[in-house]
Amino acid sequence: MADISLNGTTEVLVGGHYQAAKSIVAKYPNSRSAVLPLLFLVQGIEGHVTDQGMRDVATLLGLTPAEVLASGSFYTMLKKKPTGEYLISVCRNVSCAHRGAYKVVNALSERLEIEPGAMTSDGKFELEVAECLATCDGAPSMQINYEDFYKVTPESAVELVDRIERGEDVTSERGETVKTQREVSYETAVAGARLPGTAGDIEGRTVGGESPREDMKVGDRPKLRDDEESHGG
Amino acid sequence: MAVSEALVVRRRLVEVERPWNIDVYLNSGGYAAAREVVTAATPEDTLEIVKESGLRGRGGAGFPTGMKWSFVPKDVFPKYLVINHDEGEPGTFKDREMFELDPHQVLEGMIIAAFAVGASKAFIYCRGEFALGSRRMDQAIRSAYDKGYLGEGIFGSSFDFDVVLHRGAGAYICGEESALLDSLEGYRGQPRLKPPFPAVKGLYGQPTVVNNTETLSTLPHIFNHGVEWFRRWGTEKSPGVKVFSVSGHVNKPGNYEVPLGTSLSDVLELAGGMLNGNEFKAVIPGGISAPLLTTTDIAMDFETLQGAGTMLGSGAIVFMDHTTCMVRNALIAAEFYQHESCGKCTPCREGTWWQVKVLERIEHGEGRQEDLDLLLDMCERMDGRCFCPLGDTAAWAVRSNLQLFREDFQAHVDEGRCIYESGHRTLVGTRAGGVGAGNAGVTPQPSEGIDSDSEAGS
Repeated sequence: MADISLNGTTEVLVGGHYQAAKSIVAKYPNSRSAVLPLLFLVQGIEGHVTDQGMRDVATLLGLTPAEVLASGSFYTMLKKKPTGEYLISVCRNVSCAHRGAYKVVNALSERLEIEPGAMTSDGKFELEVAECLATCDGAPSMQINYEDFYKVTPESAVELVDRIERGEDVTSERGETVKTQREVSYETAVAGARLPGTAGDIEGRTVGGESPREDMKVGDRPKLRDDEESHGG
Repeated sequence: MAVSEALVVRRRLVEVERPWNIDVYLNSGGYAAAREVVTAATPEDTLEIVKESGLRGRGGAGFPTGMKWSFVPKDVFPKYLVINHDEGEPGTFKDREMFELDPHQVLEGMIIAAFAVGASKAFIYCRGEFALGSRRMDQAIRSAYDKGYLGEGIFGSSFDFDVVLHRGAGAYICGEESALLDSLEGYRGQPRLKPPFPAVKGLYGQPTVVNNTETLSTLPHIFNHGVEWFRRWGTEKSPGVKVFSVSGHVNKPGNYEVPLGTSLSDVLELAGGMLNGNEFKAVIPGGISAPLLTTTDIAMDFETLQGAGTMLGSGAIVFMDHTTCMVRNALIAAEFYQHESCGKCTPCREGTWWQVKVLERIEHGEGRQEDLDLLLDMCERMDGRCFCPLGDTAAWAVRSNLQLFREDFQAHVDEGRCIYESGHRTLVGTRAGGVGAGNAGVTPQPSEGIDSDSEAGS
């Protein structure tokens, strides 16, 4: 089980967030695997991946900030600039494009008064065109903060924006309530982590233990049931 | 006679309420196969059964699953099992469905696979955009630990098995197994040079089996019903049933599970036929990477499609009707590959960029006569010269549109405009970082006739 290597002080990943970071790192045999989840954690706290957040991740994992940036900059879900509270991603790929996706993008673009790739001036919305979201049966489809909406029309898409603006709860095709961008980033970060209050919080679960018994190879461990205390995990 | 589905992997999804609940799963016979394997079989027997079944990987490459497992060295520890749930091949939505609705079926398949190869730890690489699937799987893992189906000594045996859920962060290339492993290790998701293959040197340099969600979901059924039962379906080289994701211009888009070797016209019938009875033009038979077909009279199995110059791929079937502009279709594919190219090798990084440039100008009526052969030349220079299949398939996608529908491309050049819709705009240059980025407050001028998709046109 990997642990964090604190080679300095952190400014973003502190307190409860620091504990969350510890739980995330503990999922992996090698702490480097925690780079992306920790960047999601930063995004969940700061709203996007900030420079200080990347420095914190580097500090916790014993990496250089450049190494953290090199990994993080590869992925579209990790936002390097301030991002709207509600990220609207309209699929532009083949099934959706042939069934009206561009009209939806144009309608949203007009309603929000922004081009795809930009944020509204109040920071409330961000519009992006996305690659296939694996909901082609609902084409044209889109996501708001990664919750799915099927068979959207220019009118229904604009109505969703109106409802969010009025402060109403919006529910996805699958009955999930749309969260804010920060909430959903934090949730992505701690997915599968043994953290109080999350689904990963499992009593007695040996998450991340490369081997609960250090004297035994993984995959080849006879049980010594009378020696439970030493199992540690 | 009406065509019907052969429900195996999707049966619970269709017939049972709340299939993601562990008690519901158990009541419908769940975890019986994994329990039997772990408590009464040997890893060798388990591997042998999968080999005999002839099961081929359902992620896209169609590599025999049992053979993949057999490459794992016996005496090197630790070994890892990694689940490729980074479903992103355009047109594919089958893994997402079975993962969201039936996560325990995936876990049960994982237990069988891990036992066979001797892996005591598995990582589920779940695509970042799949928020609900991740929630369901997180819950399913927790329930399975509570019941003793995961953790130490599962089902009371001496076999330990831990499962870790990991989320991707948005990159199609991470569906390529070696890029997935780099991503899981915390690096940019770029493919590795092979050999060594992951079975020998994979995650953290250890022997690793990477299997797709549908492949794993199929395993419990093979063990419950036997190899003979499984081989009743499909062909000699492509046994069993397969879930096809059908979308595009059809009346009832959705996932349909049928025996491999089923005629494409039967699949079209299951999906309710062409949208509004429109005329069939072309079909993508296995995800956007697979070259187009202009017929539905073909058997949907690995070897037949390969013989026809295309591939079964991930089983994503996208039908297109007569209103579809094939220049635009090629441009959609090219933009996708340009966006998703990881930048590691030159033919792919530069080739996809130039494909978009040239296709964009043809689509906007500024194409030159020589552009058509120029595109073919580019495809020739990419195909087989890229580091991984992404670049090769980018070449195939553009080439098949151009070769099969050269008249569409020629008409764009001759008329100096798109022959299907006047003055429509594509999204070229408007994605993040493009022309529009940072231009908050500037309203685009879409207005009339900009985008006549086929539904509007009819």
